[in-house]
Amino acid sequence: MVFIYDGSYEGLLSCIFTIFKNRIVPSAIDIEANRQFTLLDAVTQVATNEEWAARVLKGVDERAGTQASRMLYQLFLSELPLCEMLVYQLVQAIIQKGDASILENFANPYILKAAQIEKMIHREVHRMHAFVRFQKSRDGLFYAAIDPDFNVLPLIGEHFEKRYADQSWLIFDTRRHYGLYYDQNMMDFVSTDDPVFAINANLLQDNSFQDEKEKQYQALWENYFHAVNISERNNTKLHLRHMPRRYWKYLTEKQGLYKR
Amino acid sequence: MSTILEKLRILSDAAKYDASCSSSGSKRVNTSKGLGNAEGMGICHSYTEDGRCVSLLKILFTNHCIYDCAYCVSRRSNDVKRAAFTVEDVVDLTINFYRRNYIEGLFLSSGIFKNADYTMERLVRVARVLRTQHNFNGYIHVKAIPGASPELLHEAGLYADRLSVNIEIPSEASLQKVAPEKNYNDIITPMNYLRSEKEKYADDKPHIKSAPLFLPAGQSTQLIVGASPENDRHILRLANSLYQQQKLKRVYYSGYVPIATDNRVPDLSAPPLVRENRIYQADWLLRFYGFSVDEIVDEKTPDLDLEIDPKLSYALRHPEKFPVDINRADYEMVLRVPGIGVKSAKKIISSRRHQHLHIDHLQKIGVVLKRARYFINCPGLTIRQGSLQADNVRQAIIASDKAPAAAQLGLFG
Repeated sequence: MVFIYDGSYEGLLSCIFTIFKNRIVPSAIDIEANRQFTLLDAVTQVATNEEWAARVLKGVDERAGTQASRMLYQLFLSELPLCEMLVYQLVQAIIQKGDASILENFANPYILKAAQIEKMIHREVHRMHAFVRFQKSRDGLFYAAIDPDFNVLPLIGEHFEKRYADQSWLIFDTRRHYGLYYDQNMMDFVSTDDPVFAINANLLQDNSFQDEKEKQYQALWENYFHAVNISERNNTKLHLRHMPRRYWKYLTEKQGLYKR
Repeated sequence: MSTILEKLRILSDAAKYDASCSSSGSKRVNTSKGLGNAEGMGICHSYTEDGRCVSLLKILFTNHCIYDCAYCVSRRSNDVKRAAFTVEDVVDLTINFYRRNYIEGLFLSSGIFKNADYTMERLVRVARVLRTQHNFNGYIHVKAIPGASPELLHEAGLYADRLSVNIEIPSEASLQKVAPEKNYNDIITPMNYLRSEKEKYADDKPHIKSAPLFLPAGQSTQLIVGASPENDRHILRLANSLYQQQKLKRVYYSGYVPIATDNRVPDLSAPPLVRENRIYQADWLLRFYGFSVDEIVDEKTPDLDLEIDPKLSYALRHPEKFPVDINRADYEMVLRVPGIGVKSAKKIISSRRHQHLHIDHLQKIGVVLKRARYFINCPGLTIRQGSLQADNVRQAIIASDKAPAAAQLGLFG
């Protein structure tokens, strides 16, 4: 049986709830748009149900604590093929075992796979903490564009909220077309049709929206970046391993605008 | 009057030989809706083309200097452009770089103009303005200038997350040769003073809730490798005593980059990067793997093997301790197996509570089997232990390292 959901995390959890309730063994769980159906597939479409989703999470939390449910959410955000089945398999393992100890057994292939994905997500989160580059707009907003490998925007807000408590900022995921906006008081997701974004969409393209000193600081930073390099020690391989090329497009110091 | 851009170029270029880049280990939390947060893990925001981490705005306050140390690019007799920031320059750069998420904070060092206190007073003023006027909670690392007065060092400790005094030359006799105006006493005095002040605050902390943070990220220092004749054993013993007695959080090692055409220092064709890397590996063994200095280097072999890492070298010299039974041995012994790091060792210990571990499990957990296989006992392993001589194992591992693209030097981890 193939289970289809709407792409939201609550939707996936609703699927898992349905699977447990009806005691069915799923062959796949997927988003409708992704799925190539064959005539042989028996398909169940599950409508998202907040209450069901909450019950699955409660069941996990009661047995294995919030760390486990956090891990499940991260697997979902990886957007990797089969990540939905992995979430289901882990929920099943936790319910069966009844506590968190199952998560320590890295000889279990599902646990190992989950731990590996979790590590990839953590690395991407850490990279976003490092590689977000804000530009200051004329009206004082600090805005940044990102294009992460995984959907990590929901995981990085807290870090920036703590760090930049006294400035308004907007981080926008250009691949997934949504952003995170903080107004020095509240943090919230914004989509492209949100007024905050509509006003600031120009920022990413149009320099005239920038603060008058923005260019100067970008130039200082890029020059600094080149001045602290020790060319006798150049090591391109190591450089690229730490800072893969795909991240360069939003890195101020890699734009080559002000190099002497 | 030079522009801010010129000053930044000159004074960051002169600061780049300081290997320290850490911004971790502090406990400074943003509680007042101010700017910045320095709790927990440090972040490398960028990497220069030499592969080194850029975490802090690392600059000299000035490269004017009254001293003439042979190894130093800013020495009095060297013909370089000189510049000096103002306090406002440094504060403005720090705040604006930080707000754009370029950096974790400031690393402020300096040449010595006039005297130690005159210089130290300016460094302290930068830190004070950042903390008190800008409510800045990012990371601040300040150099403690040898010979500065205790009052200034104390004040610096209240604002900075970390202070460091660089020893640079690993023995006093060599220091006399390359920097005759300096001595060990001037270096060790501020280190000892700061250690005892930090201990005082730590003693108060449980009783006085409002006791201020004093150097939450502790002290560090740097040793230059290859500018003077000390062997690796000498350097590691010095580092070990700095960890044990001065309670330093980090000792950095900097392969000497031949920057100065001065006949008191050797004219190397390239910095000794491999040696530097091996010393860092040995330092890791001291801090995270429970090794003692004598287990890594001893009187007979006072220098590290440049061809193989010090952990493998230890294992080859001690065949009586191996093979290690993966399903039974203590954590400490599992950790000593070449190819098994701290994370893998922990995973092995937690997984084997659930089931007997097979060689396939080890591979998936992340153990580097091409090293570990010679030193473990584990079901599924297809190698006949004992039949392997240390020399053969050594050659086999060196060959396998060279096979797919020579191993990269991961420095400053």
